[in-house]
Amino acid sequence: MFRLSCSVGRGARRVIGPTVCLLLAGAVTLGVTACGGGATAQQTAVGNGSSFVSGSYGTTVFSPGNRPVAPDVTGITLTGSRFRLSADRGTVVVMNFWGSWCTPCREEAPALAALARRFPPSAARFIGVDIRDDPASAEAFIQTFRVGYPSLNDPNDEVALDFSGTVPPAGIPTTLVIDRSGRIAARIVGAASYDGLAALITQVSREGS
Amino acid sequence: MTRPKLDEPRPDQLQADDLDVAGEAGATPARPASHLGIRGILDWLRWGWRQLTSMRTALILLFLLAAGSVPGSLLPQDGTNPEGVQQYYVSHPLLARVLGDVSLFNVFGAPWYAAIYLLLFISLVGCVLPRTLHMVGSARQPPPRAPRRLDRLPHAVSYATTVDPETALDGAAALLARKRFRVRTGPGWVAAEKGYLREAGNLLFHLALVGMLVSIGMGGLFGYKANRVLVEGTSFANTVTALDEFHQGRMVSPSDLQPFTVTLNRFRASYVTAGPLTGQPASFNAKISYTSSPGAKQQTFSLDVNHPLVVDGVRVFLIGHGYAPTFRVTDGTGRVVFDGAVPFIPVETSGLTSEGAIKVPDADPKGLGFAGVFLPTAVDVNGQLESAFPAPDNPMVSLVSYAGNLGMNSGPSQSVYALDTAGLRELPVAPRPLAVGQSIKLPNGLGTLTYTGYQQWISLTITYDPGQGPALYSGVVLLAGLLLSFMVRRRRVFVRAVAGEAGQTTVDIGGLTRSDAAGGFEDEFADLAAEISQLHQGGQDSDTGEQDPPEQQPGGESPEPPPSNTSGE
Repeated sequence: MFRLSCSVGRGARRVIGPTVCLLLAGAVTLGVTACGGGATAQQTAVGNGSSFVSGSYGTTVFSPGNRPVAPDVTGITLTGSRFRLSADRGTVVVMNFWGSWCTPCREEAPALAALARRFPPSAARFIGVDIRDDPASAEAFIQTFRVGYPSLNDPNDEVALDFSGTVPPAGIPTTLVIDRSGRIAARIVGAASYDGLAALITQVSREGS
Repeated sequence: MTRPKLDEPRPDQLQADDLDVAGEAGATPARPASHLGIRGILDWLRWGWRQLTSMRTALILLFLLAAGSVPGSLLPQDGTNPEGVQQYYVSHPLLARVLGDVSLFNVFGAPWYAAIYLLLFISLVGCVLPRTLHMVGSARQPPPRAPRRLDRLPHAVSYATTVDPETALDGAAALLARKRFRVRTGPGWVAAEKGYLREAGNLLFHLALVGMLVSIGMGGLFGYKANRVLVEGTSFANTVTALDEFHQGRMVSPSDLQPFTVTLNRFRASYVTAGPLTGQPASFNAKISYTSSPGAKQQTFSLDVNHPLVVDGVRVFLIGHGYAPTFRVTDGTGRVVFDGAVPFIPVETSGLTSEGAIKVPDADPKGLGFAGVFLPTAVDVNGQLESAFPAPDNPMVSLVSYAGNLGMNSGPSQSVYALDTAGLRELPVAPRPLAVGQSIKLPNGLGTLTYTGYQQWISLTITYDPGQGPALYSGVVLLAGLLLSFMVRRRRVFVRAVAGEAGQTTVDIGGLTRSDAAGGFEDEFADLAAEISQLHQGGQDSDTGEQDPPEQQPGGESPEPPPSNTSGE
């Protein structure tokens, strides 16, 4: 005889226990998978409104003894020249991931362009990584903000992928400060400020010199 | 067969166990008296825990979970349909704000929803673990003592034999043990029980349930889910900057993402061309190439709906598609300032009319913006341009042109699918739909836009759930355990033998089964009883070897048997 009582009595539970528990488990499973519910092919699942991951904003600074080694990034710049990160070993490198379509990138662009003019190449070299962009728009962006440093054309996210397993760019824009020995000293996710980035570059470029 | 244990189970436990009439059933734990002090607080805590882990609470929580999911399916959600949410804010500003405040646009990430499923999880685990321990005890328990009056059991047989009681009991015990019963003997009785697999099944079921809950939790902690729109001829890597949307588990960092790349070579959709279902999609197929890690060999894959690419434990699903018309924009100085594909979002399914925006913030002298629709099969319906079919049979775009400040140099991030027209001025351009190759020449020498063609895009969902495998295995074990516990019945057989008058021995055999589902045991009991009586009739296996025929006697009162303790088997 099935007693579908809700009591906690042992006798009743022995009867309904497995069944109800199964139902519960099934429902929980459904519920949790519903959290990750997939859209059907009919639906237009095209990402969030801004259609890129802005990431968790903030600056991460790595102490000198605790710095991940940056991969030896190689690529072709928007102007067609070859770039190899290890060729800049011995100077501080500021690597900025950007796109002409991204609002915070446009917001920080004047500061980056000014910093690149302020620091001589012996103190810091700047390299941009243009992602998810078309070259024409990127070129227009560079002219608008009078960006004096080169940018890698990275339509296939190869540069970001090189950093996987270390300190990958966690959003657009991301700025990495790489020290003289090719290790990542700091990461800024989100629009970098002139003063904040200047202080980081100054600090890292003074190390070991 | 397991040897019976000699330690005596508590009599009260046996009683409750024996006939499933537990008096405790239906009793809600008493509310603790409201006296203060540590004891009082402990009582309250214990009471609260018992309430939380009760079946009733679990059911209520389950109901709440289901009820809470309802707005998640009725209202557009941030995770799956952010455009819909924005739309909702536009059409019902006041209501949307209220709904947004209680996270109804993000139900599955809402704190109150998390509270419900966490409580349900705790409730279930708190209910299951003690039961598991109970089950372990139950599976190890020896059969209970034989009741005094076997004739009151559901199945009972009684007969007289000339075999002396001790021999009769020894024979019965040996026979039952041979039949894989767990046997326990006492003065003048034999108790035997079979069907402990039921308990094992129960145990498996409960452990699997905990396993499943843990797997699901693991998936939530270590898994992630991401979306990406990919235009034909382009590729992306599984890295945060390349994803349109990224929902990570608590223990996932961007450096944990599996470093594969996917290139969309070509996408084909076919549609029903005749009949009432005209325009309905018939099939989707995306030809992709992928590498599982940087430097690995490139492989090709044919991606279909519900046929995901599995790479490095990550599943990549094809979940949507649309058109990305391509444009070239020249600014007032004659410089090409935009040249590429722009994904447009379908706003209806019968003709795949799609909306989108082209943003050219760096055009000189003024920033340019265009918003409009893409019509795969453009037709003129009473002066109104519509799309009659989802396939690109007559792909046209119709755009409104703007100039000014696109608001992209500061402030919050914008949707790439819509223009922020606050700082823009609409340009007086005659609204003329464009066919591939046609251009809009903007007034005042602001520039030119050319509609150069179209491509298709697909949207991909990337899911990584390390709990999926364990959850599946748990599910299989769970079902197996459940079946076992439903199909195996625990049944008990008791034999009592007492010396009667004239050297005769009265043998009583009683049996009962502990589950409600009857059937089968009646026959099994009859066979067993027959075999036991046969034994006593023939007396072959006992060393007394008596051959007297048994006399059937009605089950009468049996005085207490002499204390002849034949313990163990």
